[in-house]
Amino acid sequence: MLAYFVIIPVLIAVFLYLFSSAKSGRILAILIQAALVAFSYYLFSLSRVEEIVTVIGIYDGDLGIVLMSDNLSSSFILLTSFIFLITSIYSFHENNKRLFWFLLFLWEGLLIGIFLTRDFFNIFVLMEVLAIVVVILIMFNRENRNLYDGIIYLMANLVAIQFYLFGVGYVYMITGTLDMYLAAQYIAQFDRSALILPYALIMTGIAFKCALLPLFSWLPKAHGTPSAPSSVSAILSGLHIKSSVYLFLRIQQVFQDISAREFFLVIGIATGIVGFIMALSQKDLKLILAYHTISQVGLIMAALNIGDFYSHIGGLYHIFNHALFKSCLFLSAGVIAEIYKTREVYKIRGVFKEAPIIGLATILAVFGITGAPLFNGSISKYFIATNTNWLLNAILIFMSLGTIISFIKYSSILWGKSSAGETSITIDKCRQLTTLILGLFCFFGGIFGAQFIEFLFNVQVSMNFIGYLEKVLVFAISLTVGYLIYTHFIKTSSLLGRICKARLNFRGMCASMGIFFMAILMITGYFYS
Amino acid sequence: MNFEIVELFSIILFFISFFGLITSKKALKSIVFTLLLQTAVVMFFLSIGFGENILPPIGEYVANPDYVHRVADPLPQALMLTAIIIGVSVSAINIVMLMTIFRKHKTTDWDIIKKENMG
Repeated sequence: MLAYFVIIPVLIAVFLYLFSSAKSGRILAILIQAALVAFSYYLFSLSRVEEIVTVIGIYDGDLGIVLMSDNLSSSFILLTSFIFLITSIYSFHENNKRLFWFLLFLWEGLLIGIFLTRDFFNIFVLMEVLAIVVVILIMFNRENRNLYDGIIYLMANLVAIQFYLFGVGYVYMITGTLDMYLAAQYIAQFDRSALILPYALIMTGIAFKCALLPLFSWLPKAHGTPSAPSSVSAILSGLHIKSSVYLFLRIQQVFQDISAREFFLVIGIATGIVGFIMALSQKDLKLILAYHTISQVGLIMAALNIGDFYSHIGGLYHIFNHALFKSCLFLSAGVIAEIYKTREVYKIRGVFKEAPIIGLATILAVFGITGAPLFNGSISKYFIATNTNWLLNAILIFMSLGTIISFIKYSSILWGKSSAGETSITIDKCRQLTTLILGLFCFFGGIFGAQFIEFLFNVQVSMNFIGYLEKVLVFAISLTVGYLIYTHFIKTSSLLGRICKARLNFRGMCASMGIFFMAILMITGYFYS
Repeated sequence: MNFEIVELFSIILFFISFFGLITSKKALKSIVFTLLLQTAVVMFFLSIGFGENILPPIGEYVANPDYVHRVADPLPQALMLTAIIIGVSVSAINIVMLMTIFRKHKTTDWDIIKKENMG
């Protein structure tokens, strides 16, 4: 049964390639997406009760390829199909190219495959094919295509995946299986020192995909490139990067004994801080959002590695929230850039007057990402910080302050006198609707936060009212401080302009990959052997 | 022949080609080094389960019950066929993109391409 979730989108992709340039073909595509959401909800409701396992091939579990859907993976599949439904409604009028719809469905099938599979080698194949799909999509618009972004993305991914594959070879050599669950069982019998090299190799590949601290240079250009349709950027930033975080979670479970939690906690925090500093220095709408993805993934990684139950749940919930508000921001940024014919944040003013609904969706998503009270970001940030010590708490508040400062800068596009000029274009209804739906989800995800968490992860959480009120106070203080810092320091600073230019080239990326590999090898070797 | 040497050699080759990726200034050389990196991984996989007196898992050896426990593990080879195919297609896309970049910038130097794309 589970194999159909991967095969059917791919088959539909081929089928739709014949006639998705016609309007009826695109309507059919959206109906199929809606049906996929319904099916993934069905799968989700089944997987909440017990794990569903499908073995591909005539062999039993030890030899065949195992697909497994538990609560975590099926909730990710639900998210995937939902975001794809939203983005395909968004691009209903925008894109009538057959290749786009073909790649969109293919992408969905492959992502669901990553969430379902339990096989190490399957993940390698899926990641490679995903890299090809993504590289075609980010260079989709011919008029402003930038091949440098594409080649950097593809080649750096190729190198990272070779690291991963080398590590998988080691795992196979040691355990004799490629199945994650069996490998996790067998690994416990072996000497820890034999596992350090494969762990370091696999984690270098996965950390590259997650865009952790020294390895994130490929992400902003890939996620914020002008040639990508905004729906593609939304899926990339909202969903695609989460597939690597999901793999990180799964592989950490395999290497339970030597999982370098503290290392990834520190790296996650550093990624979060560097991400928002880089984001502050950007002027381009899409690049600001792309750098913020780095920052938020750092926060998620830190939350998942704190090791506390509540932080873990908060981190998982933040993955879902980030998918909602970041895709909302990217989709609305696409519309805004089209209205104003520029993407520079200082030249755009008065979105509320020009496009009220887009402006409303943007402000809802901005409230979500900054963790304003009653919005979904505040719930996940509250749970992340529940049981942490004062130092971590201070760091989390600092990261949230950085997010607030750069989104004060971002939301300055909403107010003021419109700078669009005379040529006002009518805004597509589909786009307004989809961005507004995502924005409202950010709001309801906050009001019904505990219910959403129970629905998604099947755990009971309770919120302390006093503690939440404290967070509201902290938010109000950091909003004030952030506004003061923004007006008195950021606007006039010239240092940030220089940071803006800093970016590694391909050799630098490879070197940082080597440094990361050496670091994780030495740290796991020193502390865990 | 001792096949642990193959394993060791593949690790060395992996890091040599990784060193090449860090140091090569021209994009075409980088693509060649990624191919070499893939070769190292393929070689590593093929060395798994090989040893003295092990027979290749093809032809009459598999059918003959006398040889069955002397035949090498066929799985890594099957995996590597897939990996090679994917590697070839990714490298083909890389080379096509590099050709287009070369026509535009008249160079394959990473630094110059980067500078012209940033400014």
